[in-house]
Amino acid sequence: MSRYMTEPEPEHIATLIHVLVRWHRAWAPIQEMGPTVMGTFTITYQTHVFSILPPEFSKGFKELIAYTFQVTSPDTCPDWLTKLFPCQGKSPRPDLGLWMTFDELGLTERYESLILSVCYERIETHITETCSKVWDQQMLQPMRSWMSDVIIPWLITPYAREARTADEAAILMRSVGSRLDYHVCKTFADLRTNELFDIIIDFPDSKPALEDLKDCLQRVDQRSHLVQSLRKSNRRRLLHPGADTKLILTQYVSIIRCLRIVDPQGVLLFKVADPIRRYLRDRPDTIRCIVASLVGDGESGDSLVDENEPIQPLQQAQFDDYTDHKWEPEPIDAGPEFRTNKPSDIISTLISIYDSQELFVKELQVLLAQRLLAIKDGNFDRERRNIEILKIRFGEAALQVCEVMLKDMTDSKRTDQHIQAQKRSDMHPTVISRHFWPPLQTNTFVMPGQFRQIQEDYAREFSLFKPDKKLVWMSHLGSINLELELDDRTVGAEVPPLEAAFIELTSRVDEWTVAELIAKIGSIERPAALKALTTWVELGVLKEDTPDRYRLLKVAEAANSNSKASGKQPTAAVDELPPVQTVQQQQAEQMRVFWKFIEGMLKNLGQLPLDRIQQMLKFAPDYNRNIDQLAAFMEAARREGLVAVNNGMWKLQK
Amino acid sequence: MKVTIKNWHAIAQWRWDIGTNETDEEGDVCGICRVPYEGCCPSCKMPGDDCPLIWGECSHVFHMHCLLKWIGTAASKQQCPMDRRPWVTAERKINNNPR
Repeated sequence: MSRYMTEPEPEHIATLIHVLVRWHRAWAPIQEMGPTVMGTFTITYQTHVFSILPPEFSKGFKELIAYTFQVTSPDTCPDWLTKLFPCQGKSPRPDLGLWMTFDELGLTERYESLILSVCYERIETHITETCSKVWDQQMLQPMRSWMSDVIIPWLITPYAREARTADEAAILMRSVGSRLDYHVCKTFADLRTNELFDIIIDFPDSKPALEDLKDCLQRVDQRSHLVQSLRKSNRRRLLHPGADTKLILTQYVSIIRCLRIVDPQGVLLFKVADPIRRYLRDRPDTIRCIVASLVGDGESGDSLVDENEPIQPLQQAQFDDYTDHKWEPEPIDAGPEFRTNKPSDIISTLISIYDSQELFVKELQVLLAQRLLAIKDGNFDRERRNIEILKIRFGEAALQVCEVMLKDMTDSKRTDQHIQAQKRSDMHPTVISRHFWPPLQTNTFVMPGQFRQIQEDYAREFSLFKPDKKLVWMSHLGSINLELELDDRTVGAEVPPLEAAFIELTSRVDEWTVAELIAKIGSIERPAALKALTTWVELGVLKEDTPDRYRLLKVAEAANSNSKASGKQPTAAVDELPPVQTVQQQQAEQMRVFWKFIEGMLKNLGQLPLDRIQQMLKFAPDYNRNIDQLAAFMEAARREGLVAVNNGMWKLQK
Repeated sequence: MKVTIKNWHAIAQWRWDIGTNETDEEGDVCGICRVPYEGCCPSCKMPGDDCPLIWGECSHVFHMHCLLKWIGTAASKQQCPMDRRPWVTAERKINNNPR
């Protein structure tokens, strides 16, 4: 034993056992004394031996067993083993003698768990080595056959030596075999569970890995572990501020698809998805992302929607159908809130993150408006197609507004054709129906000079064509393609109307201050004006001589020649700012109206508790906030110093 | 310097020319259905030419569909719902409207 401790080699343990068994045989009483004496001797001997074996023995013993894995044929068998434990007759395995000796000493019985743990360890190492990160093929079956090819033959020696036929061996092996199979599955499930997040990222390439996991989970009960682990990695890797909403959504969709393979009933999905859904609900741009992917953003190729998936109406939460003959009870690990959701499509699932569809339709409207207004060539077939598809999902009625918007586009085109036929104009307006488009930002200004002339001409023609109607220009929207003829060069540019208005003014008077320009145009804000001027400065047309004073450059300045816009090609300077109010802005706008109500009631009634304010606001038209939203709003008002709160009573700040 | 417009993609809203010259932001509503004139009456889906207005001699304006429905009922006695004068549809004086 001390030799082993200084030099950990299985050979020394083997020698030790050899010595032990020699003693055992030497001291054994002669056969004639009967089995009782033999039994007593064996017990006494074993007791003595086991009691003096140092703790290191089990470690050494384990190594010896592990070593026997390598000795599968007589060629690989080291000399010391056959020398120490010669086996009688012809044996397929050279370590047979060793195992006989173990039996004789009672070691097999005593260290059975040790022997199995050797098997377990081998299984674990093998699975980890061969299967990690291998997701593109099913690995469970190869693992199982590996077990029956490698582990089982080895186990026959210790467990089924006496078996004469294969059937007999099978019976002897059954219990240990099923334990090992269980262990294979468990190890495999652990491995895949830990890798699951990455597997999901790799979906659909990693589909085989998921099929494996499904098989494993049927054998071992690791479902709750899987949920825990996936939730943890989601929280760590997905649901943090650094992740893009679009990314989260993509991953969520993948999770849905993956877990449906693993667990078709959807219990796992339900548990895993819950934190993600809650997180997404708190993100401000979730709806926009979903809607953008609904209408298929041209730029981002991978849309969340699977093209092959049939488009179907949104599914509402279903109630139990008591007449369903194929009803099955919910899986046992389903939580109390679990609803057996029939396999619904991805979009329905995404939209069900929110309680109402209304928000989606609103956001969709905003998005559609932005796109339609940006269209210049009058080709909006793609938008029409999208809306038709969405109609199937959301229903005809919900998208009526979008239908009107599209019709406005067609009508504008037709009207324009007619008017162009009557009197040619460089203007091709889009005439929209108010109330059916999302609120457009309003800072209407008056176009100067020839622009105004064109507007008026066009409006007159329009009124002739449609006698009952007139046009109200939204001068700040749209874009104008201009060509400027200067003394030494021509500059072409596609600019927003405000820019065009400024340049029109400078064509008459060369020098302007910002204040003068604003006064000439009307209601615009200074930052917008500065931005417009900067566009021209960048194009090398205007120059800011002294702060706030801009001058037209009739002849290009040398310094400007290196600026990017000295060429002739039109430069698109149309700003990216959405001309349409986003839903948040609309809400803020609404809240401003309600603030008037709140201010009024606090003025008249002194101080009021929050729920009273809420009750009274309910009388106001279109008021649909809940009390939490109101509380948040009042809190914001308090921070601005408009109201004060004392013991839950709100009053106006004097 | 000369500024030449090559192409102008403009945005405009249409309004019903109801005689008044005010460009009121809120707009007026139909006295029957309380929907803005530029919207459409409850039985219509498309605003504009599909759901036109009707002008009365009494200077009141309604969605045509709303008013016809009203006139069709016995209780109306063919009167304008606003002032109870007999309803007479006004001839629209198209080019007479000062803008």
